[in-house]
Amino acid sequence: MNLWPFAKSPAWDEVTYWALDLETSGLGPSDQILSVGMVPIRKGVIEFGAHYYSLVRPIRPEALSAEGIRAHHILPRELESAPSVEQVLDEVRLRMGHDVLLLHYSPVDLGFLKRYFRTLGRPRFKPVVVDTVVLLGRLGERQRQLEPHAKPVPTGLAAARAAFGLPGHLEHHALWDALATAELFLLLRHRLQARTLRQLV
Amino acid sequence: MNPVEFVREHAPFDLLPEEALALVQRGLEITFYPGGSKVLERSGPKSQHLYLIRKGGARLERDGQAILHLEEGEVFGYPSLLSQDAPAFDVVAEEDLLVYRWPREVFQKLMEYPAFAEFFTRGLAERLRISSRVEGLGVVNLDLALPVGELISRPPVLVPRASTVGEAARVMQTHQISSVLVEGEPLGILTDRDLRNRVLAAGKGPDTPVAEIMSAPVKTLPASTPLFEALSYMVRQGIHHLPLEQDGQIIGLITDTVLMRQQAKSPLYLLRRLERTRNPGDLTGYGKELTGVAESLLLGGLGASEIGRSVSSLNDQLVRTLLRLGEERLGAPPTPYAWIVFGSEGRMEQALLTDQDNALIYQEETPATAAYFEQLAAFVVEGLIQAGFPPCPGGYMATHWRKSLPEWEQLFRHWLETPKPQELLEAQIFFDFRAVYGELSLEPLERIVAGGADQGIFLAQLARASLQFRPPIGFFRQIREEDGGVDLKKGGIAPIVSLARVYALEARSLAKGTVERLQAAAREHKLSPEGAETLVEAFGFLMRLRLREQLASLRRGEPPGNKVPLENLSPLERRHLKEAFLQVREMQEAMSQRFHTDRLG
Repeated sequence: MNLWPFAKSPAWDEVTYWALDLETSGLGPSDQILSVGMVPIRKGVIEFGAHYYSLVRPIRPEALSAEGIRAHHILPRELESAPSVEQVLDEVRLRMGHDVLLLHYSPVDLGFLKRYFRTLGRPRFKPVVVDTVVLLGRLGERQRQLEPHAKPVPTGLAAARAAFGLPGHLEHHALWDALATAELFLLLRHRLQARTLRQLV
Repeated sequence: MNPVEFVREHAPFDLLPEEALALVQRGLEITFYPGGSKVLERSGPKSQHLYLIRKGGARLERDGQAILHLEEGEVFGYPSLLSQDAPAFDVVAEEDLLVYRWPREVFQKLMEYPAFAEFFTRGLAERLRISSRVEGLGVVNLDLALPVGELISRPPVLVPRASTVGEAARVMQTHQISSVLVEGEPLGILTDRDLRNRVLAAGKGPDTPVAEIMSAPVKTLPASTPLFEALSYMVRQGIHHLPLEQDGQIIGLITDTVLMRQQAKSPLYLLRRLERTRNPGDLTGYGKELTGVAESLLLGGLGASEIGRSVSSLNDQLVRTLLRLGEERLGAPPTPYAWIVFGSEGRMEQALLTDQDNALIYQEETPATAAYFEQLAAFVVEGLIQAGFPPCPGGYMATHWRKSLPEWEQLFRHWLETPKPQELLEAQIFFDFRAVYGELSLEPLERIVAGGADQGIFLAQLARASLQFRPPIGFFRQIREEDGGVDLKKGGIAPIVSLARVYALEARSLAKGTVERLQAAAREHKLSPEGAETLVEAFGFLMRLRLREQLASLRRGEPPGNKVPLENLSPLERRHLKEAFLQVREMQEAMSQRFHTDRLG
């Protein structure tokens, strides 16, 4: 597996992870990003103070429903004054540099990000990605080998956190979901006894 | 709940102003410690952070022995952070631990907020005090122990002795006051009541000389008199204006309207009611009003000991009222006597309606005494029941406990010289006796009690009695609940009261209040000043907590008890309760070793 730009395989806590979450108007290719939240993990510690959270001014506001937006704890008028998607994604990229991207179920959010960067004519976005859903699957696999009839580990973010005793959080809010992902990652990393980045990707 | 909301809900962050929250948020780091791992290591690297438990539990350990349990919402790591010494304990994650933390630089900036800093820089005693404040309740109430001089709002207004009442009335009008002092020797006073009753109603004119109308010499009290005594004095003297003196000078004056300008639940109203009582039937409902007074004093932010003193003073007044009524009916007593109260009433630590603990001591046995005091005791005890004080289940009431002074002396000497353990368990409350009414001096009894310090076995037995109840702290130093709650009385209040009694007797102090006893013991070096202060604060905390819970029970229409369910307490209160219990246990162990109670048969 390509870990570029990292050397062979660094220890897990030598690299910086950015837990990131997007709130979008839907899952289809024509759907839009509404908000972005991200928070870094440096040396194994979540630095909440360094978080970034922004709403995104929609490109096609007419395609949005007020109800759909409210589910993400966003009011339509808040979006009008928000920065453009270009500005926000540049901020994201500036913060991330060559750090690892940490997502809960990467196909959706990563797909959005890649597509947007491409549409906006930005350089290709190809970070190393760690996915907590993948880690959950791995842990579940290991558990099944030990106890074949054990209850499967849930993969939803809130359900998985609850299963491991982590506190509840405000769901469908980009920043709090990103933070929830970061906390879950710290727990899963320990449960999997992963020592290197390679063991996590 | 997002992190900032969570942080804001927990002490000491709840003491920070709004403006500081940006800093709290900016400096917040979140870490995860798997169960069994060490967050801080005893004698290891210094703590570089202030930690707050977001989820999970941790324990402080020394040499593998658990010292304290920490729960969600509790902070740790600050002693090492403040002292820059290595941690004094291991901090071990008991289960997976999600921890919020702030680096040292952020902590130092937050320490610039005094309320926040206070939380860390003061000892347990202080922290207990902080946590027992009732915030946000704007009820203004007077502390009845306050020196009455502090209520003076302006210097006294005087008129020359040669003035006419017309001139005096204009001075009163100009200053908008209801009385003036009249210069000269002795000092006089003229009030608006005098103008009405002694001038107008008597058909006199404005040219009447003041000297003819005024009351002189004026009744005064020192400005340092406790408010409650001043109030009793005014009620007894039937005066509405009271000049106060300090260093031989009148420095101002208080009026009953100033004092009555409180809500209806003021102790004053109850006092007035007692003064108006003409027969025991008038006392119905007194208990309910007393509860209201205690509640308003608690909401007014008074500490448990001030509330106890106020309520006990009122109850003393109640007993005096009943005894006066009794004497009116039965005639003058055949021999001097004293009505004593003991237990919590004797210590002035009563806050709600508690069982009666009273007894009667008369000078000498005469043919008339038996019948007279039997009737007097029955009258007062019945009146107290009428007022809402249940009879003592142990029968410690003057209806049973009536003896001549020589008999009492014999009894006390018996307790001191040949103490029997079981007897002393019950009799120890007699050592809290206090005379409430009567002419008889109890000095002979007090002399016997003061000699208790020389009776080694007596002190040792009393020390053993103080170990009868133990704080409900489990093996892992967790608070134990039984039957739906923690028993504050058995677990903390009763042990502290008994410990204080032993220490005070050992120090030959005749103090009766638990706080005064502990302070007296510290002065006589029977107890370290820190030990005394810690117990004093733990006592105040427990008493206040119990009072709060009891008042809440009464509001729900339930009988007040001594148990509080842990779930009714905030995490900080739980922690303080645990610390208070641990301190009590430590002091009990010290007491046990000191008197070798284990060697008593």
